[in-house]
Amino acid sequence: MDFNDETVFEKEVVLNILKEVTEETLHDQTYNQGKVGQWISDICEKSTKKLVALGKPFKYVVTCVIMQKNGAGMHTCSSCFWDNANDGSASYKSPQDWPLNVVTTCFALAI
Amino acid sequence: SFFPAMSTDEKTYMIRPQFHKKFKPMQVKEIIQKCLDDKLTGQKYHVDKASKFTRELADAIKQELKELHWDRYKYIVQVVIGEQRGEGVKMGSRCFWDEDTDNQAFATFSNDSLFATAVAYGVYLY
Repeated sequence: MDFNDETVFEKEVVLNILKEVTEETLHDQTYNQGKVGQWISDICEKSTKKLVALGKPFKYVVTCVIMQKNGAGMHTCSSCFWDNANDGSASYKSPQDWPLNVVTTCFALAI
Repeated sequence: SFFPAMSTDEKTYMIRPQFHKKFKPMQVKEIIQKCLDDKLTGQKYHVDKASKFTRELADAIKQELKELHWDRYKYIVQVVIGEQRGEGVKMGSRCFWDEDTDNQAFATFSNDSLFATAVAYGVYLY
């Protein structure tokens, strides 16, 4: 595998993309059963498009969990079997003052 | 361990997995369901335990996937556990990959006190 700048996973850039897309789609929204499916599609698809536009040789997996704020607790965790040097992940969590709990995660795997 | 380390400098010129060593969603789904059922049946949601369970489940599922010995596959396992309080929750994902070689499988578990979802993605390394 060639090691050059292109194959490096840039966590801040990816995190920024996830943050922008999540905030753009969900700012000021409260949980709506009818719309939640559409929101998730939008967030995942827009994130994927922006990530691909970075032009890096990666495959991407973007997941998004949206939960109504109800006082209930939620934990998410991921375990990956990959090449630590080239692959990476970034996860964006919605701020505490939002009426929704959102976690958007991106996994990037080098080709 | 006799699982060969993933060597990315060896050029094997195999750009597709052999059919019998391809990621099989139904088989992985059963594995995930079994892991969830084994670990969480009869359990109640508790903050510290849930945190521990997510980590243990993610590692357990990943370990089972490694033992399938599908060559040149990278795995991602994501586990979500939440308290059951009647709230609405939705999870989705989009992937940019090679549809022929890469795939995913997921399973859910729920009881009166908690719900859990685990999803596993298998991505082939050319």
